[in-house]
Amino acid sequence: MMNGGKVLKSIALLPDKTPVDELTREFLIESQEGLDRMERCLTDLEERPEDRELLAEIFRAVHTIKGTTGFLGFSRLESLAHAGENLLGLLRDGKLLANAEIISGLLSLLDVLREILASIEASDQEGRGDDAAMIERLHALQHDSPSRNENAELTTLQPEHGLPSSAKPQKGAKRVRKAKAKADNTDTAMAIASAEKSSAMVPQHEAQAIEVYQAELQTVQARAITNTAESTLRVDVDLLNRMMNLVGELVLTRNQILQTVSTDSNLEMLSRRLDMVTADLREAVMKARMQPVSHVFSKFPRMVRDLAQQLNKRVRLVMEGQETELDKSLLEAIKDPLTHSVRNAIDHGIEVPHVREAAGKDTEGTLRLRAYQEGSHVIIEVSDDGGGMKVERIRDKALERSLITRERAAQLSDRELMQLIFLPGFSTAEAVTNVSGRGVGMDVVRTNVEKIGGKVEIDSRVGKGTTLRLRIPLTLAIIPALIVRSCGQSFALPQGALSELVHLSAEQAQAQVEWMEGAALYRLRGKLLPLVFLGSLLKQASSNAELGEAYIAVLNAEGRRYGLVVDGLADPEEIVVKPLSSVLKQIGLFSGATVLGNGEMALILDPGAIATRANIGMALEEDGPQAVETTIEDGAVEYLLMQSRNEHAAVQLKDVLRIERISRARMERFGGLPVLRFEGELLPLLDATGFDASARDEEMTVIVCRDGERHVGVAVSQVLDVASGKPLTEAGTQSAARDVTLLKDRVTSVVNLRRIPMLPSATPESSEEELDAVEVMR
Amino acid sequence: MTAITLVEDVIEMCSVRVGKTLYGVPIMRILEILGKPVTQAVPLAPGYIGGLVHYRGEVLTAVSLRKLLDMPAVDEPEDILVFEGVDGYFGLLVDEVGEVMTVQLADHESNPSTLDDRRKALFAGTYKLKDALLVMLDPERLDPVRLSENARS
Repeated sequence: MMNGGKVLKSIALLPDKTPVDELTREFLIESQEGLDRMERCLTDLEERPEDRELLAEIFRAVHTIKGTTGFLGFSRLESLAHAGENLLGLLRDGKLLANAEIISGLLSLLDVLREILASIEASDQEGRGDDAAMIERLHALQHDSPSRNENAELTTLQPEHGLPSSAKPQKGAKRVRKAKAKADNTDTAMAIASAEKSSAMVPQHEAQAIEVYQAELQTVQARAITNTAESTLRVDVDLLNRMMNLVGELVLTRNQILQTVSTDSNLEMLSRRLDMVTADLREAVMKARMQPVSHVFSKFPRMVRDLAQQLNKRVRLVMEGQETELDKSLLEAIKDPLTHSVRNAIDHGIEVPHVREAAGKDTEGTLRLRAYQEGSHVIIEVSDDGGGMKVERIRDKALERSLITRERAAQLSDRELMQLIFLPGFSTAEAVTNVSGRGVGMDVVRTNVEKIGGKVEIDSRVGKGTTLRLRIPLTLAIIPALIVRSCGQSFALPQGALSELVHLSAEQAQAQVEWMEGAALYRLRGKLLPLVFLGSLLKQASSNAELGEAYIAVLNAEGRRYGLVVDGLADPEEIVVKPLSSVLKQIGLFSGATVLGNGEMALILDPGAIATRANIGMALEEDGPQAVETTIEDGAVEYLLMQSRNEHAAVQLKDVLRIERISRARMERFGGLPVLRFEGELLPLLDATGFDASARDEEMTVIVCRDGERHVGVAVSQVLDVASGKPLTEAGTQSAARDVTLLKDRVTSVVNLRRIPMLPSATPESSEEELDAVEVMR
Repeated sequence: MTAITLVEDVIEMCSVRVGKTLYGVPIMRILEILGKPVTQAVPLAPGYIGGLVHYRGEVLTAVSLRKLLDMPAVDEPEDILVFEGVDGYFGLLVDEVGEVMTVQLADHESNPSTLDDRRKALFAGTYKLKDALLVMLDPERLDPVRLSENARS
């Protein structure tokens, strides 16, 4: 009974509609490839209008379509291809010289043909459409240079292209001229009619002859491409995926065997052989999935040409490293991000000719697409020599849209600021104008690239141009990962996100991990790195467990930087990614699972998801239910609560850059004002500790804050808490009282950072700050 | 085997034991039985997830019957039955796989009303054996996808 049920199920799985038949599918694939080639050649043709080989190639593509559609019964395709062929015949025979207009016409023919092919693929129907205008356009283009046409019949110019195609195709050309002879004598409307008539009549009258010449041309053509056709074979991608899976399995089994076999020398030798064979096989299967990036690059010449014309810009496209190979699925995945980047570069990067001229640049902009392999990655660069992006503008936009806080913006280097354009929300219609460059949908570019384990970087110099760099792993199925251990369990951390590792001995862990009210921080080269404890994130260990020896894996996930604290490290390994069941995917922190060489299974950590879970980038908070401050009421501001003398004082949390615990002996005086020397800079200090000057051995806490452009320090005896406070209004006046807030139900004074005096020499002549400071002091 | 199992009134069951109770799973539904494989715990997973198991190149999610029934965890390795679920294969961790037995459909009775709701939802009645009861398990109800849906509703 049960068995019966199963059988029924599998029957139901069969596709209910009959697919396009084998012959048609073959035709579709062939035609699409032909059209792709044609597109490439057409854009090249613009550069070299006399190139016979290009013309022959284009002619072949259109001709193949025409030839096959005849017996498949696709009449629209046939008449369109026929019209195109007529025009191409003239071009090929040198009776007409390709100009921009003709190329545009042929490109739009290409689009229509593609559309019909897509329709056939979807529904086995050509779809409805009126092609008269298209055919008319192609015909009109034939009259472009009548002087050359006149002696068309006389010249039996033998094309010198690689094909030994001979008198037979000429027959086709003759037929064209016959049609045209009629057209010449009548007006345009008649021309269409006659052209249509001729194309309609030809199959009846000359059916046999055409059949013959088609057949012959096809054999000739077949001979020409024999070399590639015979040595290649179409393989279903699903089959390749399955092969890849099996090879992955073999890799795992090999790894396990290698680890177990060490005693028997004979077995050891055999296992070494197995090792070699497996490695080779894996490489071979991976190779089978590789395709040159030219598959994606090839559509850009057309796109660049169209866009440049549309935007009245002059753009030269330079493509390098087209032979670089990439896994097929990855190639598919980068198609859109790359298209987007190219469009951006032309739209926003490269300036219009007169602007370029004014800037002393060549009026023709250069867009460079470059692909090359670097280790286990393929780098694809899209660079333009356009206007570049102004860092200040990016920062201002990001601030305006509150994508980052002011103090974070101040901490970021120019390079880091540049990466802000990848933030979601950065890109809206007026977000970035032509002045500063791109920005439209760059977050989508990054998301797509990171989805396949890649990375995006941008580099831009004002006036010089912008370079976008996509780092794509060679393959998805097998990725390099660092195996980390947490509470006795192994996890795989993809190396793509890993930027460095920091080892902390037990004592160092105690001393160097700093806490800001529940949020753990580590000072990495002077900058605070928020820490996430893997053990407590995964609820394997309680969050207040004593910190022993640990490793900090410094991760960079989608622009968010944090340190993942783990108990231990194992060797890096190439892991085979296995998908997780939907139930486990829902946990959200794991992107998959894998089997390690020692047979142990390991979950693959998702650095981006961990950052999101731990609120990295949003606030310096660790995960956990104790995060009270996450719900901030309207109008409330977060404050850092401090012990100053015998009372509480506060500074706005958004002004806090970092907190240092130092000896009072380090406090010095300059011009009568207390100052601190920090990394070679002077920090004006407000001493609110309440210690007297003689207490030099005491420790104090210095809160380094941001006040406008300058940094100031507030020295207190200790930091108490982070709390959100609401402004208090003065009784009767309804106006917000200054420098005071209600924190934890206590009236608390807020340190006015502006009141900290400027250092004498640093006082600018009439800065806004100074005016304010004067006002406050009054 | 198929011809016999399709006879109307008997059904072949694989008996498994969890704690002291004997459970039965229709043998036709079992793809494979894995004897005491290594499992890997999944942090933050729902309570009924017993862990991951390596099965023919895939990483299998295993449901723990013990955890599902709120029974205390045992330290000993458990056997796993592999089923085909909505979302690919899944495993069921049990203390021990017993033997294959033929039961009479006539001996089936539905869940007693005194059973708690959770168990009512998991069990598909029971077969009266000569000297014991064989609690019928329906793999469909043990599918982790189904369990997670139930947990959410």
